[in-house]
Amino acid sequence: MLSGDQSVIELREVQKKYAPDIVALEEADLTISKGEFVFLTGPSGAGKSTLLRMLYKAEEPTGGSIIIDGVDLSSLSKSQIPQLRRKVGVIFQDFKLLFNKTVFENVALSLEVLGLKKNQLSSRVRQVVEGVGLSDKLHRKVVQLSGGEQQRVAIARAVVNRPPIILADEPTGNLDRKRTTEVVALMEELNARGATILFATHDENLFTDTHRRVLRLKDGKIEEL
Amino acid sequence: MPLGIIFKRALRDIRQNLVTHVMTTIVVALTCLVFIFFSVFSLNLQRIADHFGKELAIVVYLKKDMPQDKIPSLYQKIVGMDGIESVRFVSSEEAFKRLEKYFKDEEEVLEGVDPLFLPPSFEIQIDRAVYNPGRVRSIAQKFADWPEVQKVQYGKEWVDRLESFSKAVKAAVVASAVLLLVMAAFVVSNTIKLTVYARQDEIEIMRLVGATNGFIQGPFLLASFLQGVSGSLAAIVAGLFCYEYVLNIITQTELIKSLNLQFLPPLYMLTIVLVSGIFCVAGTAMALRRFLTL
Repeated sequence: MLSGDQSVIELREVQKKYAPDIVALEEADLTISKGEFVFLTGPSGAGKSTLLRMLYKAEEPTGGSIIIDGVDLSSLSKSQIPQLRRKVGVIFQDFKLLFNKTVFENVALSLEVLGLKKNQLSSRVRQVVEGVGLSDKLHRKVVQLSGGEQQRVAIARAVVNRPPIILADEPTGNLDRKRTTEVVALMEELNARGATILFATHDENLFTDTHRRVLRLKDGKIEEL
Repeated sequence: MPLGIIFKRALRDIRQNLVTHVMTTIVVALTCLVFIFFSVFSLNLQRIADHFGKELAIVVYLKKDMPQDKIPSLYQKIVGMDGIESVRFVSSEEAFKRLEKYFKDEEEVLEGVDPLFLPPSFEIQIDRAVYNPGRVRSIAQKFADWPEVQKVQYGKEWVDRLESFSKAVKAAVVASAVLLLVMAAFVVSNTIKLTVYARQDEIEIMRLVGATNGFIQGPFLLASFLQGVSGSLAAIVAGLFCYEYVLNIITQTELIKSLNLQFLPPLYMLTIVLVSGIFCVAGTAMALRRFLTL
């Protein structure tokens, strides 16, 4: 972390245990500053997804506190969770797309939940879809797209409402090398525009030659590499 | 969340699952139709009971040895009572004349009979505006307690039977209303549950991108309200057609015509529509609760 920078993700002695005695996280501390691009790595089952899920309050820690953009998540009521999720764009390994809907409909969903009407959201959706290189497939159903294209739709949906934080959970896990490079490049571009990115991956090739900060999750602890 | 967006999403959901929604609406309509039949039957039974009940008079027979000069004061006393529409004094002579008229073809029956053997009486009509079987009974009981009165007749059995039958039918209508509405809510909530199951992924994704519960629930609740309202409206229209059809068949007789049978009053129909809509929404809200844990 760069000292003096404003932190947007902060974990303080966070614990996550599952019955009977599985420890996913043990007193994990972490600070990610605004505008950082951080890789989170670790073997499968190390707890990367669990950590990310706790950041958008899909799971609760069993101890410690998580602060996102200055807000302690434990203080959020259920009705405030949607506000948090609008600040945090999430990209999933399994895409979580609506396969029988079009690219436009999938991406527009993130804006529809904000109460935007079709005429208000249309231009922004087109712009973002163009940004991920799919403008010629705007009205294609997602099921007709390749894996790489589907992942790009998922990225477009995650960023269309311009969230300050993007969490990517193994976004290249199902992609070949070429598509993986494309996705990483897209994420780099989003970061260059100001988004803070936490990129979880078990693929070490993605960060071996990078100047980016890399965290490893091992035995429930977070280590800086 | 603007209502317009919820409305659009609800209509889109209905379009996408049209068959399911139509089937559910038909079930709601059939349920409401059964209730409407019960209601029309009960309402008109009450009208028939009132019609005949209002024709009933209380006849107060006076003691034969009662002094004649007491009759005017008794008359005034009866007229002054609450719920009395009219009072008519029938002397022993007049009662005998009526009897003679009744036996006009068999005059020998009354030969040698004392013209004063019948007791004088008051024929009392109850005010139609306040008529009910219980009231007739209580007024009759008051007369029976008077020392000048020998006997009171008011068609007791008829009034009692009418009252208990009317109560039973009303209870059946209320019970059927509750059962049928719960059934409608159950059917609608299950249909919505099936729709929700089919769209679980979409709901999960909506939650992940920051949709509020109102945004997710709104279209489902609106769709079920529309099902409840359109189903009950269809039932009312179908019920009205059936009623008119049956009425055309049975009003061939003057007696039925004189009963002035009616379909449900407008306020009653409005209540059925609203309650049906509200029950369907309540059933759906309960079905959705478990799907909306964040």
